[in-house]
Amino acid sequence: MKTIKELRGMLDKKEVSSVELTKEYLDRADSLNGEVNAYITISRDEALDEAERADKKIAEGGALPLTGIPLAVKDNICIEGVRTTCASKMLENFKPIYNATAIEKLNEQGAVYLGKTNMDEFAMGGSSQTSYFGGPKNPYDTERVPGGSSGGSAAAVAADMCAAALGSDTGGSIRQPSSFCGVTGLKPTYGTVSRYGLIAFASSLDQIGPIANSAEDCGIILNAIAGRDRHDQTSRDTGVSDYTSLIGESVKGKKIAMPKEFFGEGIDDEVKESVFAAAKFFEENGAELVEVSIPTLKYAVSSYYLLACAEASSNLARYDGVKYGYRTEDAESFDELIKRSRYEGFGREVKRRILLGTYALSSGYYDAYYKKAMAVRQQFIKEHKSIFEKCDVMLTPTAPTVAYKCDENIDDPVKMYLADICTVTSNMVGIPTVSTPCGYDKNGMPIGVSISANHFEDAKVIQFADCFEKQFSKQAARI
Amino acid sequence: MSEIFDTVIGLEVHAELLTNSKVFCTCSAEFGGDPNTHICPACTGQPGALPVINHRAVEFAVKAGLAFDCEINRYSRFDRKNYFYPDLPKAYQISQLDLPLCINGKVELSTGTVVRLNRIHLEEDAGKLTHDDYNGESLADYNRCSVPLIEIVTEPDIKSAEEAAEFVAKLGQYLKYLGVCDAKMQEGSIRADVNISLKRKGDEKLGERAEIKNLNSMKAITRAIKFEEERQAEIILSGGTVEQETRRFDDNQGRTKPMRNKENANDYRYFPEPDILAVTFTDEDIEKIRATIPALPKERKEKYINEYKISENDAEVLTSEKYISDFFDDTVAIYPEYKNVANLFLTEIMRRVKETESEEIPFSPEDFAEVVKMADKNTVNRNDAKDIIRTMFEEGGKPMEIAKAKNYLVVEDNAAIADFVEAMLDEKAELLEQYFAGKQNIFGFFMGQATKGLQGKATPRSIKEYLETAIEKRKNK
Repeated sequence: MKTIKELRGMLDKKEVSSVELTKEYLDRADSLNGEVNAYITISRDEALDEAERADKKIAEGGALPLTGIPLAVKDNICIEGVRTTCASKMLENFKPIYNATAIEKLNEQGAVYLGKTNMDEFAMGGSSQTSYFGGPKNPYDTERVPGGSSGGSAAAVAADMCAAALGSDTGGSIRQPSSFCGVTGLKPTYGTVSRYGLIAFASSLDQIGPIANSAEDCGIILNAIAGRDRHDQTSRDTGVSDYTSLIGESVKGKKIAMPKEFFGEGIDDEVKESVFAAAKFFEENGAELVEVSIPTLKYAVSSYYLLACAEASSNLARYDGVKYGYRTEDAESFDELIKRSRYEGFGREVKRRILLGTYALSSGYYDAYYKKAMAVRQQFIKEHKSIFEKCDVMLTPTAPTVAYKCDENIDDPVKMYLADICTVTSNMVGIPTVSTPCGYDKNGMPIGVSISANHFEDAKVIQFADCFEKQFSKQAARI
Repeated sequence: MSEIFDTVIGLEVHAELLTNSKVFCTCSAEFGGDPNTHICPACTGQPGALPVINHRAVEFAVKAGLAFDCEINRYSRFDRKNYFYPDLPKAYQISQLDLPLCINGKVELSTGTVVRLNRIHLEEDAGKLTHDDYNGESLADYNRCSVPLIEIVTEPDIKSAEEAAEFVAKLGQYLKYLGVCDAKMQEGSIRADVNISLKRKGDEKLGERAEIKNLNSMKAITRAIKFEEERQAEIILSGGTVEQETRRFDDNQGRTKPMRNKENANDYRYFPEPDILAVTFTDEDIEKIRATIPALPKERKEKYINEYKISENDAEVLTSEKYISDFFDDTVAIYPEYKNVANLFLTEIMRRVKETESEEIPFSPEDFAEVVKMADKNTVNRNDAKDIIRTMFEEGGKPMEIAKAKNYLVVEDNAAIADFVEAMLDEKAELLEQYFAGKQNIFGFFMGQATKGLQGKATPRSIKEYLETAIEKRKNK
């Protein structure tokens, strides 16, 4: 298991070529994918072509931080000409006609794409088991889920089937699988990475981010993909040129907010212990722990699901069988075509959320649901603002539990939704949050700690996560 | 009928904006083109593609708002209007619900009616479907998807089909003046939805209304309204109630037909568009846009009537279109004989531009000013001046060159006048006697002969002057 930083050194010193490296990862991906199912598509030929080009670039002395580094990409991020399914029957054979901006930016660096990773259908879920292509498995215990929705990306990184991966995070979809799979995942500040080419789930919450073996690697990838994009009005020029620049700076004297609501009922004791231990580590290094409160947290999950599903119901309306994607056969009318295409093309969870969102936006219900949820969102923003006026970062568990068995929870949507309690507020507020492994439970399953900061302070959360990682001894996945 | 009922009409007029690119992507917004050639991932609703607002379209909408005395919302937002239809690739239209760009405007009609505008908002157009019944297929052309539209919504202040037609015409005229819409109804640049109800005279309460969708000609607007007035009156008079419903107008049959009733009305599930940032303006931004608004017909017309002393009718015609009024203004700036310029303009230029519908005058105001001046100064005869204008239209060329080539230039050759007139009077001594004897109309004959014989060498005025003196002399002999 090597970090991007280590691989960069090896490539630059010509200890290994990108083609060799890519082959190694591809071979491992091929041999493990039957068991882990991290990839929906492995694109060997394209990857080797890209690696060859990267080797040339390296030989010419033009290597950039990600030149020749083999990455995996979540299957809801468009790569031109490469099947991009969103793990749905609806897009089973869909090939985008354009590159996502994040992909364009990685192309500029000469990164290599090994393939497209498994996920919950349309990124809707926390287990990745709603995938039309069968759920991916957790490399620490293949009877367990890798988390979701970026479960394939997290599992691929944990199982060393790629050097790092892109995921997307709408309500915890990068951080929770990173926590479940014992890797580091960063949800950047909303607007840091262009969403152009990220197949939308909930536009005001979605954000592309890295999943990697270290916080520093996350920073290296973020350096490559961040920036204002003329294709995405919500993207921002953050003014940060290097997200790893704070690495190595002392945390002494820094104030760490510990919101009490995140350590109450519903959080596993082992998780609590590990996260407290991480907090203790920072305290021992001179940081000050400050108990704070986010009283509105009890409304987090319900308001998140109303907003996310409302936006999703509109974002997913374009899958009507007319232009691309799954189309039912022999429909007699347009109404029938669209009804049947959507009925047959979408899975249960996606349909559940579309219905929920449609209901929340319907005339007569809008004020009671959508509007109220928006008010809660405003309240969250206020409460977080006041926390970050006093504190530098906030420390919380990433998930209430460790990865559960594949057959648990899946049939109880409400229980599944409630498990998002620790992650959704970061999306509602739009702040950066990184999850990094901080311990293992009695079964050896990874536990993650989350570090959040104020808007556009992504470098700070990377600094804190890196500081913790440097002293933490990771246990490799058993696979 | 109008003795029993008042007609109450509100309009929703859609006008396509003349921006080069579409409102939420950079594709060409030009009308037509081969099917699906002005398209991109964004306007065809490809997964992952995002809309990006065209600020030029925003500016155009604000310009329209300012021209109709609207207030401009300093904070304006876009919303999604969700519905499924094959010509709408995203399955939602980006529009504006709660916070449109412009609110509370007004348009005055010649009848004295002031039509209040509820709002002007910016939105995107949908694509076009062609149904191929032979093959049982529907074909979608997305070129028009995301072409910018403004929707102008009135209060129910319009009282007749004629007023509705005048309102739409006036909107078109103003939008064209502003350069924000070409107002070509036949190309769908302006389309109107008509909300119409009847109420008994003296009643306060409005009746149930019918909405007639997508009327795309003046004729359709007036015919649809007249048909609805009769249909609704018949229902009410026979004791029935008008149903609130959406109807369409069948041009061939000249009647409106039901599309959907209230129960089947769409629930568009509007919500704020998360992909587009709110649009905000400072007072300075608005003043900058206001500064780009040209003088509008009302102002120009008043100037023509009051300062140029042109009749109201003529002023109306001269301000009907901006290019016409501009040409006229440019001409009188060079040669400020307002009435003379107006007369030749109205008879010679207006007729031709109307015939060709080209909206282009193929010569400059300088050239036209010169022709008017030549006629006024008798450098050419007035009829020849008209022919010079015709030539400039049909063949091109400069006024003086044409006048020379066609031998229209009047040269005052006094010797020639004397020779010709004296010879004529000698020859027609008998006629002259008869004139002296009281046959007054013989003077006209002399004038005619002389003018004809002296063509190009003298003006009628100098011929007349010489003839009068010559006759006087002979009389006194």
